[in-house]
Amino acid sequence: MKKKALFLFFFLPLIGIVLLFFVLSTVNRSYIKTKVEDLVKEQLRSTAEILKANISHYLSEDYKADEIFELYSGEENIYYMALLDDKKNILGWRSQFEGYLPLSRQTIGEKESWVIDSPVGKIYNFFSSFTAPDNKNYHIYLGYSLVNLEEMMAYSQRNFIILFSVIAGIGIVFFLGIYQIQARYIKKEKESEKEKREKERFREISAFTSGIAHEIKNPLNSLSLLLELLQKRSSRELREDVSQGRTEVQKISRIIDLFSAALKPMNLQKEKFVLKDLIEDIFESLRREGFSESVDLQYSGDKEVIINADKALMSQVFLNLLRNSLEATEKGAVRVQVKEYRKKVTITITDSGRGMSDEEKKRIFEPFYSNKKQGMGVGLYLTKKIIEAHQGRISFDSHRGQGTSFSIQIKGE
Amino acid sequence: MKRLSLRGWILFLFFTTLFSYGQKKEHFYNVDKEVTVKGSIKEIKMEPLYKNTSPFLIVILEEKKTKNTFNVEISPVWFFDHDFHQGESLVIRGSLYQSEDSAQNIIAREVQFSGQILLLRDKHGFPNWRGGKGQTRRKWRRKKDFS
Repeated sequence: MKKKALFLFFFLPLIGIVLLFFVLSTVNRSYIKTKVEDLVKEQLRSTAEILKANISHYLSEDYKADEIFELYSGEENIYYMALLDDKKNILGWRSQFEGYLPLSRQTIGEKESWVIDSPVGKIYNFFSSFTAPDNKNYHIYLGYSLVNLEEMMAYSQRNFIILFSVIAGIGIVFFLGIYQIQARYIKKEKESEKEKREKERFREISAFTSGIAHEIKNPLNSLSLLLELLQKRSSRELREDVSQGRTEVQKISRIIDLFSAALKPMNLQKEKFVLKDLIEDIFESLRREGFSESVDLQYSGDKEVIINADKALMSQVFLNLLRNSLEATEKGAVRVQVKEYRKKVTITITDSGRGMSDEEKKRIFEPFYSNKKQGMGVGLYLTKKIIEAHQGRISFDSHRGQGTSFSIQIKGE
Repeated sequence: MKRLSLRGWILFLFFTTLFSYGQKKEHFYNVDKEVTVKGSIKEIKMEPLYKNTSPFLIVILEEKKTKNTFNVEISPVWFFDHDFHQGESLVIRGSLYQSEDSAQNIIAREVQFSGQILLLRDKHGFPNWRGGKGQTRRKWRRKKDFS
């Protein structure tokens, strides 16, 4: 599945759920709002009817319009009120705002109630007729504040926004989390598939090249034997040339051996052994080769560190690394330090040699890469392969002119 | 504009509160009686017009064409921060009403002067100085024809 498709696979349901919640919530709130508005209007209408009855009573007792309105001056929710005669002439009025009485003769009487907007909020307008006990017809016009209703709606709106934001936020985090997990799983699966294919390919190549190496080695051995015979039987003048030819054939044979070893799958023969003993043996072997004349070989660390590994292969690892260090160091020391911590053994080989260039650092573990004239470039490649076959890790730190330090981490006993 | 001292203002406000009078029958912003009048200022006054409110700025305006005189109710004095001068030209849009003494009065909604228009009330006559939610600022706009 492509990354975009995967993202959409998780993102679209989230959008769908959020939208569904939004629509349902909006419809629900709209329904509640309408119902509450109707209820409030009904309530106000009832209040207005009571007010109308009271005014009618006051009129029957010969109160003037202004005197009646004065009685209602404490009513904060009534923004304005007016009393009109049967011809809709204003007999008196009162307003909380200077000169504000939004009464238009052109529209009054069309509806009994309507709502208008104002800077102080919505105002519920009520216009109704009544007959006083003196049989005269009057009209009453009232403007009720809907501030409380609006505040309630604003409170509901605010709560909805908070709730919606929280749900959307949690949803996004949740779905992004699932998306990340799924994406990581798919990535790992892809990597594993790729690795599997690589291994298969490598196995095929190994089998093919091993076959070729085997086929070349047989004639080479015959050729080497023939050259040996020829060397014995040839004249003194030719003997040296034949010997050189034989050396070249042996060189080809050695290259093929290294090549085969590099391609061969590791078959570990694990055994427990004391690391110090192995390293001391390698030191001795290197001294015999004449490596340690001007460079000192030193061992330090925990004495009885025992590891469970293929002794022959580990011997090859240390031999490769120490030989490289000795070759790079003209004078000074090559130190091997062994530490064990929580069943993990760390072996550090440090030299005071010339160090590596940036190019060398990049390619040091590549097969058939070498900066030595006689080098085949398989030593470090094989070293890494052996360590990895033991579930270990190898790393290095090198500074030009200061030396190089290789560090191997491997399981202890 | 005539200026009063602080003491004068306090006394003025005290008496206006004491002797504030009731709202006359037609003294409201009647949207059915909107007019536009062009004229010049003859006189400037400050009078209490509504119960329990601070005094209003009243401009006596003489219409250019007819020479008729109108008492133009502008706004509470505290809301108006422009200096009017006698003879200054104004264009007033507002609601016309006739008081019991047959004087022509206008409750101003918009005042155009010196290249500006001051908005005093909304289209229903709601006073801008009483607008809720921090809307009691003076509202100005650049001079255009009244829309």
